[in-house]
Amino acid sequence: MDVSELKITAELANLNLMEEEFVSLGREVEKILDYFSKMMEADEGSLPAGTERCGANRIRPDEQIRDINPDVLLENAPELEDRFIVIPNVL
Amino acid sequence: MESLFKRWVILSDSTMRKKYEAYIKSTDAKIAAFLEFDVDRGLGLAAEVGKGGELEGVPFAVKDIIAVRGFRLTCGSKILENFVSPYTATAVEKLIAKGGVMVGKTNLDEFGMGSSTDNSALGKTNNPWDTERVCGGSSGGSAAAVAAGMVPFALGSDTGGSVRQPAAFCGVYGLKPTYGAVSRYGLVAYASSLEVIGVCARSVGIARTVFDIMKGQDEKDQSSLNSGTDAPEPEAGVIGVLGGNLGLDPAVDRAYRATIDFYRSKGFEIREINLSMADYYVPVYYTIATAEASANLARYTGIRYGYRPGYAENPEELTRKARSEGFGNEVKLRILLGTYVLRSGFQDQYYQRAQRLRQAIRADFDRAFTRADVILMPVFPTQAFLRGQGGLDQFQQKLADRFTTAANLAGLPALSFPAAVSDGLPAGMQFLAPAFGEARLFDIVRLYEEHFPCPQPPSCKPEWS
Amino acid sequence: MYQSFIGLEIHIQLLTETKVFCGCINRFGDEPNTNVCPVCMGYPGVLPALNGEAIHLSYIVARALNCTLSPQAVFERKNYFYPDMPKNYQISQFSSPLGRNGWIDLEYQGKKKRIRIHEIHLEEDAGKMIHAGDMSLLDYNRAGTPLLEIVTEPDMEAGEEAELLLQNFRRTIRYLGVCDGNMEEGSMRCDANVSINLEGKGLGRKVEIKNLNSSRFVRMALNYEIERQTENLDKGVKVIQETRLWNENRDVTEAMRTKESAHDYRYFPEPDLPPFIPGAEFLARVDKGLVELPEARRARFIADYGLNETAADFLINEKATADFYEEVLKSGAAPDTAASWLQFDVRKILNRGNQELAGSPLTAQRLAQLLSLLAENRIHGKIAKQVLEAVFAEDKDPARIIKEKGWEQMNSPAELAALVDKVLAANTKAADAVRAGDEKPLGFLMGQIMKETGGRAEPRLVQKLLKEKTG
Repeated sequence: MDVSELKITAELANLNLMEEEFVSLGREVEKILDYFSKMMEADEGSLPAGTERCGANRIRPDEQIRDINPDVLLENAPELEDRFIVIPNVL
Repeated sequence: MESLFKRWVILSDSTMRKKYEAYIKSTDAKIAAFLEFDVDRGLGLAAEVGKGGELEGVPFAVKDIIAVRGFRLTCGSKILENFVSPYTATAVEKLIAKGGVMVGKTNLDEFGMGSSTDNSALGKTNNPWDTERVCGGSSGGSAAAVAAGMVPFALGSDTGGSVRQPAAFCGVYGLKPTYGAVSRYGLVAYASSLEVIGVCARSVGIARTVFDIMKGQDEKDQSSLNSGTDAPEPEAGVIGVLGGNLGLDPAVDRAYRATIDFYRSKGFEIREINLSMADYYVPVYYTIATAEASANLARYTGIRYGYRPGYAENPEELTRKARSEGFGNEVKLRILLGTYVLRSGFQDQYYQRAQRLRQAIRADFDRAFTRADVILMPVFPTQAFLRGQGGLDQFQQKLADRFTTAANLAGLPALSFPAAVSDGLPAGMQFLAPAFGEARLFDIVRLYEEHFPCPQPPSCKPEWS
Repeated sequence: MYQSFIGLEIHIQLLTETKVFCGCINRFGDEPNTNVCPVCMGYPGVLPALNGEAIHLSYIVARALNCTLSPQAVFERKNYFYPDMPKNYQISQFSSPLGRNGWIDLEYQGKKKRIRIHEIHLEEDAGKMIHAGDMSLLDYNRAGTPLLEIVTEPDMEAGEEAELLLQNFRRTIRYLGVCDGNMEEGSMRCDANVSINLEGKGLGRKVEIKNLNSSRFVRMALNYEIERQTENLDKGVKVIQETRLWNENRDVTEAMRTKESAHDYRYFPEPDLPPFIPGAEFLARVDKGLVELPEARRARFIADYGLNETAADFLINEKATADFYEEVLKSGAAPDTAASWLQFDVRKILNRGNQELAGSPLTAQRLAQLLSLLAENRIHGKIAKQVLEAVFAEDKDPARIIKEKGWEQMNSPAELAALVDKVLAANTKAADAVRAGDEKPLGFLMGQIMKETGGRAEPRLVQKLLKEKTG
């Protein structure tokens, strides 16, 4: 994987990487992807299609559950303004 | 059932409690299994609901990736270092409802990613058998706490071996239940389709009791399932074993043979089985696990909770800084990998292919279980390794997951157990059974336990009772 | 000559009690961050739990829009970062949405036309982010609201047609009771896409338009965009494939400022939710929720009740009105009379008081009673209108009002004849004029009689008597 691919990937993952991280993580990613290519050895025709899922049709009734006071959740927010959670946005 | 926990009914008696807390204090100074320890808070949770339950007064610990109300839920990460959970995981709630006292949260590899617990951003946990060595991971703190006699059992999570491997390294029992048998509600997600809450325990009986309390379908986890039947399991007669060169360290290899010999001597038929997909376990596991992790860990942005960077101009910078400063290297590596294998243009080659291989792996086990009732294999190719140069690097640790990841990929139950102590370190083996075959696992490992009980690390002597 | 291709992506919030994956109340307009819990706030360790009603309502829409149902509907994660999206992935459906290949029939410019539905899927709504100076404020009350997305094929040609489709669709979902279709409050939202190309050359480069907060804006934005793209092509300028925003102050579309970042949603199956397989029993329940849809009802009203199109359009527009109308007919009212009363007299009063028919003092039984009193000649038209007003004002049955107010019509020839004699005697000048052949004072005499009786005299009978006695 070249650096530009790593950059796009980091971008999608919302990670800022330092120069040295691009090198060290890049090397490690490379090594593992290389190892993943082992999966290509399997005979394609012998593989089943798609993803198997266990269970189906689990639903819950459309009824209110309120076992946690929302105020407790707001206390975890680093910054609040009235009941809004605040984030910086300098335009 | 009462005798199982008898010497662990500590917290109903103030004298015993004092001795117990003194023991924890002195022992954990060496082991550092706990990230947070607070008997009072644990008693507070139990007092509300747990009167008269079978775990009344019994302390237990929980890996710090499982939510317990009022306790921190750090996941071993800087990004959640100060986060306090407003709710309790279903599995823990069930234990508390039986009177169990959740005394503390144990250390782990950050977000469950690792095999040593050294990937924790919040401290290192030492192996009670040799403090120079790792305790295994990612549920290392839980395994170490049990091994050091600090709790009779501790919950962990097993995504690719994270309960069984540290249990093997520390010489305790480690159960990875069938996928869906125990609710994941409250287990912070690393790889949702692979993981399950498990237990590290002092004895097979304790593991069994804890599992029986925790199991069952939960309306908050729609991937959870009830086992099909309550009928007693027929006794296992045929044990499947692996042939060929397994690439094991000599001590582990010896232990594997000795375990096979033991069961043969007990009248079991030993049958070599061929798991044709074995070479693919690790790449398939890491492809799927990292893909799911890349989405599961996207919620940590410093907006609603958790680490927030000192300064940022806009939401995007805030998010990026929080994640880049808050996550450790191994987590970043896995997020990058997972993001990459899902990208359009690469998804077919990696993620989609891994999913199909996973199907083939399941089918392979279905076939294997027509020839054997249970499968016996090592947990890890080595015993607890040393830190630094003498140990395994991150990549070698991943390759060494080749015996544990199978159960996660196929959703099968597995129980690891101390099979020997050699060179002053325990060596662990594991049995795998068909889905919901936990009882079969407990029964067969119980036989071994009678012959070789849970070993005690020489340096740890619990003496409050 | 250019051809234009318009497709719509419509989102509707489903009318469930609670959110789609957690037990928080699904309600618009509450204090910020009050209807939130660890699940819809994206806390560590929580899991989604699918709301049965949300899935039920989704299938009602899929059936109503004639979709082919997937053997299993699979939830997937759509991955992208945005502050109002708590998990930074949206649980949606992608490779196996619940319905595909449906259609909506329209009558556009006098011709029947079928607009194909590409697919329909269930997903979760995001929260809201409000910009305020150098910060943004986040409210997660909306996060996790069940959202049904309906994607049409690019089968429309003009803004008017898209507007008609939206109105049609809105009426349908209101009939089905799955969504209130309020575009101002955002319970129904619409993005449009349009491309133009030389006739016969197939689709052109697609431009998406967002920020369309009413069906009128959808029409205006599309027509603006068709014009803009046509001008570009005429000048030999290539149309850029992009997303544009409708500026409702300036009535133009504007290119959306976007960051040059990679877009890749990396869909994969949601491991926390098993697939949903619609079984026979489930679908039988869904089909019970399928009411007669507005278009069918309109056709039936015209065919069975002999209504004209205007009356039919008016009556079927709201299901409540159409239901009310048919309830009134059950008691034997003449279809055209009942229709006309609803269309004019009742509507006038409702509009004046800014009221809805449902919940107003006028029940179907009361209107039926009023119409039957009128038909039986126990009151005449003018009094009937007064009675209707009184029903609204006093919330009483028409019969009771008539009785209390003594408004019942005077039908007795003897009684009326006496009255006519009395009025003629009192107004000799007018009476003589009529006798002399001048018909003009007849109206005046009539008025006098009505005045005497408080308007209760049966007018035709009075007329007859007057003529007899002056003839």
